[in-house]
This record gives sequence, structure tokens and C-alpha cells, in this order.
Amino acid sequence: MKTKIFLSSLLAATLAVAASAKKIELLNVSYDPTRELYVEFNKAFAAHWKATTGDDVTIKQSHGGSGKQARSVIDGLRADVVTLALAGDVDALHQNAKLIPADWQKRLPHNSAPYTSTIVFLVRAGNPQKIKDWDDLAKPGVSVITPNPKTSGGAQWNYLAAWEYARRKYGSEEQAKAFVARLYKNVAVLDSGARGATTTFVQRGIGDVFISWENEAFLALHEFGKDKFEIVVPSISILAEPTVAVVDQVVKRKGTEAVAKAYLEYLYSEEGQDIAGKHFYRPAVSDAAKKKYASVFPKVELFTIDEAFGGWTKAKKTHFADGGTFDQIYAR
Amino acid sequence: MNAFRPARVAVLLSAVVLHGSLFAQADPEIEALREQIRQLDQKLRVLERKQELKDEEAAAKSKAAPKVTASDGRVEVTSGDGAHSLRLRGLVQADYRYYADSANDTPDSFLLRRARLVFEGKFSNLFQFVVQPEFASTIQILDANVNAAFSPALQLRVGKFKTPVGLEQLQSDPVAFFNERSVATNLTPNRDVGLQLHGDLFGERLNYAVGVFNGVPDAGNNVTGSSDSDHGKNVVVRLFATPFAGEADSAFRGLGVGVAASRGTFSGTAGRASGYRTDGQQTFFTYLSGATPADTVAAVGRGTTVSPQAYFYSGPFGVLAEYVVSSIEVQRGTGRVADVKNHGYNLSFGYVLTGEDASYRGVSPKTSFNAATGTWGAFEVVGRIAGVDIDDTVFTGPATLRLANPNVSATALTSYGLGLNWYFSKAARANFNVFHNTFKLAPGATPAPTALIGDDETTFISRLQLSF
Repeated sequence: MKTKIFLSSLLAATLAVAASAKKIELLNVSYDPTRELYVEFNKAFAAHWKATTGDDVTIKQSHGGSGKQARSVIDGLRADVVTLALAGDVDALHQNAKLIPADWQKRLPHNSAPYTSTIVFLVRAGNPQKIKDWDDLAKPGVSVITPNPKTSGGAQWNYLAAWEYARRKYGSEEQAKAFVARLYKNVAVLDSGARGATTTFVQRGIGDVFISWENEAFLALHEFGKDKFEIVVPSISILAEPTVAVVDQVVKRKGTEAVAKAYLEYLYSEEGQDIAGKHFYRPAVSDAAKKKYASVFPKVELFTIDEAFGGWTKAKKTHFADGGTFDQIYAR
Repeated sequence: MNAFRPARVAVLLSAVVLHGSLFAQADPEIEALREQIRQLDQKLRVLERKQELKDEEAAAKSKAAPKVTASDGRVEVTSGDGAHSLRLRGLVQADYRYYADSANDTPDSFLLRRARLVFEGKFSNLFQFVVQPEFASTIQILDANVNAAFSPALQLRVGKFKTPVGLEQLQSDPVAFFNERSVATNLTPNRDVGLQLHGDLFGERLNYAVGVFNGVPDAGNNVTGSSDSDHGKNVVVRLFATPFAGEADSAFRGLGVGVAASRGTFSGTAGRASGYRTDGQQTFFTYLSGATPADTVAAVGRGTTVSPQAYFYSGPFGVLAEYVVSSIEVQRGTGRVADVKNHGYNLSFGYVLTGEDASYRGVSPKTSFNAATGTWGAFEVVGRIAGVDIDDTVFTGPATLRLANPNVSATALTSYGLGLNWYFSKAARANFNVFHNTFKLAPGATPAPTALIGDDETTFISRLQLSF
């Protein structure tokens, strides 16, 4: 009898200790330029979660080229959530490993894209090469910096934006391909991710123009000074919609389903949207945040991936799969 | 990347010289040269950056690749992120036992005392495991357990492992002062199957362990790891404090004090089947075990073990002490139930002659033995006094009722030990131990001239050990 009492006490003590010491750890696998955004957002969410539940949550961040990050998760990196550069990379988690359901994009508002961005040009102060639009990037002698679309989500947005510009201007897919081939002939260094490309352009002083995420371009101005760089807004660009998802198969095993879901939902809260705007991402759902940061973002004609390319699945297959247009124009 | 820098500097210096010498020339020519220099500078920057990216990629690949290490004979494979590992260790002990003086004229013998392979590792930085088969003597799985380390303060171990009672019993075999543990460990349980909550508190100043086990007799092992043979479970609690641990300037940083207790109900053979042993590993006490239940003593009730214990290590000096009280309710046939209470003690000490620090986890020699370079490793002298006092009640009463035979079992044993340990390296050690055991006979005992307890036992045990 005494042994049974002891065993019950031991079990109760174990559960009590486990319950009282609820320290949760999440891993957010994200793409390159979101480092600063999630450093601040993670702090805000941890405070919110502590106030709501009393539990301590620590969020670890992993950053890299979006495609590369998706492959790491497929290969076993235990990400509770992914916050990647494009829906195609998130969808690869379903297509290749069934880590998330097929309808993952419907689970959160705005097609699981809590913030948006676009592609702009960052040039050196004074714009010595007189870069104004996409055409200028394909001129002989202009050195262009953009990451590798095989590994970087941002680079895919860049590539498709240039393609659609040329298709509209020159009238055919063939002309667009020839234009993009000329542009990529000017690419001096092909980094694996957007942050590496920023380093190449900003810190290593390479290139005349950097095809950049809008937020990354603003960050460069903010960090390194407006006297060193300028942002050039092209005549047309693409509406980039970085998407987020809970990795179901991981959170079920780790028991972090509720907190991971709440983490992503908090991106849509007023505080989450405000933090996104503060870090130069365009808030997707909050009217207050949209209004607050409206003057920050330049006006530009934006097209969507669905309108121009019939969605990510088709775009990836045509342009970035092995043997796609990128391989054809960039074969070394 | 750095390889390119001198080249870039040279180009820029040339540019400056050219710039100066051509200053007076026409503007278009200067502009053309400037542009040429700019383009050269860009090309060099691109080359540098590409090399930098290659280096980063190579570093990332090397970081992600599994690592294989081998040191002191251990082989370990670790995943690139360090979260998973598998380590292979081993222990071989080859003895020669020489019985200088014993009444039963025990044959001297070479002996393979231990031959073990240890597989241990971790998964996801949370789970650790150990599987340790023993190939010497009785082939068995000594340890097979999984430890879930939620934090240093909260860990749960499940499987077969050492019961946390005896201080010397818990010490790893290869690093103990002597090549055989003291006779006091006859009274503490050894490896058992169960679960244990344990951890370190207050900055590793207090170690706790609370466990529930199937229950094994004194000094016994659950050899097969099989299910419990009775309904009773053995509950064990141990607290061990090292109050000055981590205080580098304290003279008492090597002090550890604790107490362990176990309590449970037992049925079946009392004490271990082969009885309590001398330092020479001969049986000096055993309960009666006859052909019929009427002639056999079995455990029939509560068993309790309590052991206050301590060690102190300071520089090359170390001392380890423990006291054990083991009580068990036993019965012969359908006779009286006796609450037998046996006592044991152990006081061991060592001094490392070559100056290395002694510790509960052993001695790390500053040098390894190498005749060519004239290095000898480390030497340690050790001494011990230990004893076991058997409850007199087992010998009382008529022959038909008593629990042990006074003519083959002693009522007390006092053991003296001296030894020299030679550490050839961290992995290789030779021990030379002399033990002298004296027996106290029960009143009226008349052991045969050839019975072990008929005379003192003096034994010389030497060992060559490889532990990695």
C-alpha cells in the first residue's frame, strides 16, 4: 500500500514538475531578410504568450535562402513553423514530404501571407549608371547583383518580375527569355540568399545595381546611410507574398501545435502587423498599420504571380525546375 | 580571400601613380583610365567575393557533416549539429589471483574479471542511452537504459542500471581505489530494473535520485533484466551534496556527503545466492540453503538498507567512507520470522605519488608511460579497512532452527587492504593489491580445518585493465 502511495506521489510530482516548468521552444525556419523582423516579433509574441498562458516560450530562428530552407525542413529540420519567401517553397513541404496538408494556405487569412513586399532596385548614391527601369539592367557594362533563383525565394521574385516586364514590353515569351538572358549575363555574383546578396552589394562594394526585396533595400538605407545608396522603383514590379505555415507533422510530435498556431496568428494581430510595417514589410490585413506606413512605401504597379504566371506551381516548373528557363539562360 | 588583397592594393597603388603621372593629360584619357581601374577593382572584388562564398559553403558543409572522433580508444560518431551521437567504449580486466594463506587452499588462478563493450549515445539532445553487455563470467546485459534529460535538474532514467544506494557501488569499476570493491558493498543492491527521477540542483551542489525498482537482494544484480519475481517493489532515495563544488578556492571543494536508503518487500532467497564474499571473492557467509524448504532460508518481508556516505578529495589525496545497515525479514521453512540486521563499513584512501589530482571519477595521469621518452604515467598508493558484521541471531538456536551454519559462515569479517596502482595512461592501469581478511566465528563454531573461515585469508590480486 505504501509503495502504491509512493508511486502515485512520484507520478504526481513528475507531472507537477513538468507542468510548472512549462518552457516551450519553437523553431521558426525563415528566409534570409526576415532576421530583424522576427527578432522583434518573437519578443512581442513571447510577452503576449506569457501574459496569456503564463508559459515561457522561446523562439529560435533559422535563416537562409528560402528554397534551401524548405529543403532543410523536408530533410528533417524540426521546424515548428515556416515563414518562407514564397508559397511555392512552403508548398514543397506538402508535395515532397506531406509535412503539411494540401490546403495549408487556406488556414490563415490572406492566403497565409500576413505581409507583402515587392522588388525594387538599390543603386549607389548618385545612381552613376542612371538606372531607371528593368531595361537598364540588361545594358552592357552594368553589373547586377541578385541571388540564385535555384536557392533563393527572393531571387525567383526578381527573375519573374524581370520576365513579366519584358513580356509586356516586347510582346512574347521568347523576347522575355532573351531579355532575362541578357540581364543575367550582367550578374557578377550569384549568392545563395538575399542576405548574402545584400552583403555582396552593400558591404563588398560589388555591382552597380542590386535587385532587392523592398524591405531589404530600406534596411540597407537605414543601416548604412542614405548618402551611400538610393532606391529606384521600376515602372512595374511583382507583388511578393511571403507565406507562413505551421508544420503539422513536427508540432504534433513535439506537442507545440497550439503555441505554433498562436504564433502565426499573432502575425495578423495589430501588434504583429505594426512590427511588420516597422521592418518595411507591407502589412496585409491591418488598416491601422497600412495607414501608418502608407507614406513609407512607394507607389508602383504590381502584378501577381497568379495573373502573370498561373500560380507558383506552374511558374516553378517552367522557370526554376531542372532544365527550366533559368537553366537554359544561365548554363555555364 | 586574403590572397587577393595584395593584388588589389598593388593595382590601386599603380592607379594612384598613373593618376599622378597622367594628371596633366587630357580629361577623356584620365576618365578612360579611371573607368579601367574601376572595372579592374570590380573584377578583383568579384573574385574575392566568389572565394568568400566558396569558403562559406565549404565551412557549412563541414559543419553539417557527421564527425567521427577516436581518442583514448573511444570511437564516437556525432551528427553535424551535435544533437545525435553514438559512442563505443570498452572495459577489459585481466587478473591473477594468488592466495597466500587460506584454510581451504584455494587454487591460484588467472581470471578474466570483466570484458564489456559499452554502447552509449544520445538522440536530439534529450534522450541518452546506454547498452552494456558483459562477456566475462556470466554473459549478461549489465546496463540497458534510456535517460530523458528535460533539464540538468530533472531527468528520468528507465531500464536497467545501478540502484542508487552504495557510494562505492555507484563508482565506476575502473576508477575505484582497489580492484575489488570493499566487503561493505556485500550489503548494498547492485543493478536492477526500474525507473528513477534524478538531477542536480543548486548549481550541481546537490544530487538527488528517487527510484522504484523490482528489488534485488544485497549486492545482487538483476542478471536477466526479467520481470519482478514478487509483488513488492523497492523504493530508493538518495541525496548527495557537494556543498563546495565549483568554489575553486575552497579547500573543501572535493567534499561530498550523502545518505541513501531503500525499502521494499522481498520474498525468495535472502542475501545473494552465493552469499557474502571476502576481498578474495570467496564466500564467508551464506544463509542455509538445503534440499527441502524446511532447510532453506528465504526472505519473507520487509528489507531496508540505509547508508550514510562521504568522500573527500584534495589534490593527490582522496578518502571514501560509507556505512551500511541492511535488514531483512527471513524465515527458515515454517519457523520463526527473524528480522536480521547486518552492518558493513568501508574506509578507503589513496594518494597519487606523482601529484595528479585524485577524484571520485579517477586519476588522469599527466604523462603516459613511454620507455622511449622516459615518462612513466602516474602511481597511486591505496589503503582500506572494511568489515561486515552479521546479525548474531542467524546463528542462535538449535541446528534445526538456526538460519546459517556457524561452521561455514563467519559472524564478522574485518578486511585490510593495501595496493599500488600504476596508470600507464588514462585508459590503461595496472593494480597490485594485497588483502588480509580475518574472521570472527559464532559462539560454539567448530569449522573444519579446510573451511575458509578456519583461518585468515591473505590474497594478492594483480590486474591489467584497459578502460576506454
